[in-house]
Amino acid sequence: MAESTGSVAADSEPSNTIERLAQRMIQRPESVYQVLFYIATGFFLLMALFPFYWLMVLSLTPQQNISGMGAFLPNGFNPGVYLTVFETVPFHLFIINSVIIAALTTVVVLLIGSIGGYVFGRYEFPGRTPLMLGVLVISYFPPAAFLIPLFQLFTANVDIFGLAFEYPQIYNTPGAVVLPLSALIMPLVIFILATFYGQIPDGLEDAARIEGSTRVGALFKVIMPLSAPGVATAGILTFIITYNEFFFSFLMLEGNPQEWGVLLHGVFRFQGTRSQAYNLMAAASIVGVVPMAALVALAQDKIVSGLTQGALKE
Amino acid sequence: MATETDAGTARSPIRVDLALLNRIERLSDTQFVYLMLTPVLVLLGSMAIWPLIDTFGMSLHADNIMSSDATGEFVGFENYVQMLTGQANALLPRPFLDLSAPLTSAVTVTLIFTVIAVGFEMVLGFGMALVLDKNFRGRRWVRVALILPWAVPIVIQGMIYYLIFTPGVGFAVDPLQGLGLISGAPLADSWSSLLIVIVSDIWKQSAFMALLILAGLQSIDRDLYNVAKVTGATKLQEFRTITFPLVLPTLLIALLFRTIAALKVYGTVVTIANCNTLPTLTCLVVTTWNANRYASAATIAFIMAAVIALALVGYLWKLRDLEYGGL
Repeated sequence: MAESTGSVAADSEPSNTIERLAQRMIQRPESVYQVLFYIATGFFLLMALFPFYWLMVLSLTPQQNISGMGAFLPNGFNPGVYLTVFETVPFHLFIINSVIIAALTTVVVLLIGSIGGYVFGRYEFPGRTPLMLGVLVISYFPPAAFLIPLFQLFTANVDIFGLAFEYPQIYNTPGAVVLPLSALIMPLVIFILATFYGQIPDGLEDAARIEGSTRVGALFKVIMPLSAPGVATAGILTFIITYNEFFFSFLMLEGNPQEWGVLLHGVFRFQGTRSQAYNLMAAASIVGVVPMAALVALAQDKIVSGLTQGALKE
Repeated sequence: MATETDAGTARSPIRVDLALLNRIERLSDTQFVYLMLTPVLVLLGSMAIWPLIDTFGMSLHADNIMSSDATGEFVGFENYVQMLTGQANALLPRPFLDLSAPLTSAVTVTLIFTVIAVGFEMVLGFGMALVLDKNFRGRRWVRVALILPWAVPIVIQGMIYYLIFTPGVGFAVDPLQGLGLISGAPLADSWSSLLIVIVSDIWKQSAFMALLILAGLQSIDRDLYNVAKVTGATKLQEFRTITFPLVLPTLLIALLFRTIAALKVYGTVVTIANCNTLPTLTCLVVTTWNANRYASAATIAFIMAAVIALALVGYLWKLRDLEYGGL
């Protein structure tokens, strides 16, 4: 916008442009900030979105034309690449596995985290502050500090605190990702839900109790339905974090599409091929981002409130 | 009260679940709270606390690359001493700390990455937050666009920057090479790939920083700006005397979050380059573990955990002093 007014002025009175601009800036300083604001917004939008646009350009360029393509328009037009992605590799299976694992984690985290959030949000009890701090601290330990024992636990039978017991191998099943991630995401969810549950007036819970409902019943019949926005926020965040996760998904799964290989294994299939199919890599990346882009567009308010609350409350 | 009426009206075949609920209902609040917390504690105990203790235990033993046992005899803090003094470097896939080769030793690579990435994220995030704090048409969609990179899976984030910096494919190789910032094979040399991983992190995480700072901006009392206007303060003075000091606590929290997360960087390194070109701390834990040096890997992991724990404790201490936040 700033540029367009500038160029119009340049056409009519070239010698005066700068002087006039300077005069306008002195007379109305807000206009300078307005221009700066547009430039900044444009810069941030370009920074955030251009990689996606370029990815699309690359994916639509036929493979033999890739070397020497420009950055702004596809060199040729090959929309069929979005079908080839699914034909070369069972990419849909990888995405479905990712979605299943993310959904399972969300269910586990919401069920257990709800109880935690309820207790921390609505009860004063001895040991509350140390427990809360303990839960909080856990989520900041690096996953690398949990990796080796968990890998042993999931691949063989080990003793936990001296107790030995038999169980099926967990490595290369959803459990190997769902369990550790649930533990790492749990603190965030507990804090989000504790805030929401804490805001519900005591009177409503008391009323349910007088009606003969138990404390557990009150949680599921009164508190949780009333905090539906909070539960949705926590659920959406958990889903996104798990779908996007790398460390445990990479190290705890072997990556066969029939055996719980997830999105990242699917993407690596393209990177690993000898044919250097860069257009397929780009197309696979776009396909993999679509579910997240849809979620962000639909639920941006929940994501924003969840992220800021989760971080700032803690 | 409720329990008595329940017991009185209980029908003749006592249902097990009702009996159980009755038992639960009779507990005192404290007993009830701890009963309810059992699943949380079991999950955190088995998936986080036990592994942490076990990792620490391993780090106190010697490496054992010969037999099937994970670790050798008990050696106390020997591993830590060797790791921190650099004596263990020769045995590791890449040195842990070697100041003479800062681009291939884990501590230095991780620190360079963290400082540069978080620094840029702070500046860009602040800018984004100031933009989003304004009311303008289409603000919702600008916000969606800015958050979008945050929601991209790590593997795809890595893939995007792998492609952008692949010679002959990506648009960024020739211009940046012309400026002398990256080499002709940017994905294979340590300096260029470090730069690329930093850029990809800034792209993805600036929005997270922006959201937290935005929350801080929006909690500022708007009347303060009216006062500034009346007294004739410039925008810059406004920022220096009102915006910045009041947003500082939130900014510090955002910085802490990003710093801790950046110290753990792993996925983008694996996707863009590899752990040999760019050995970050998490990378080194995994490669050392893959080389069957369980004890050394555990030592590195625990040093990482200890550093993060120290940072957190110091921060919580300061938080308590400021009496900011409601814990």
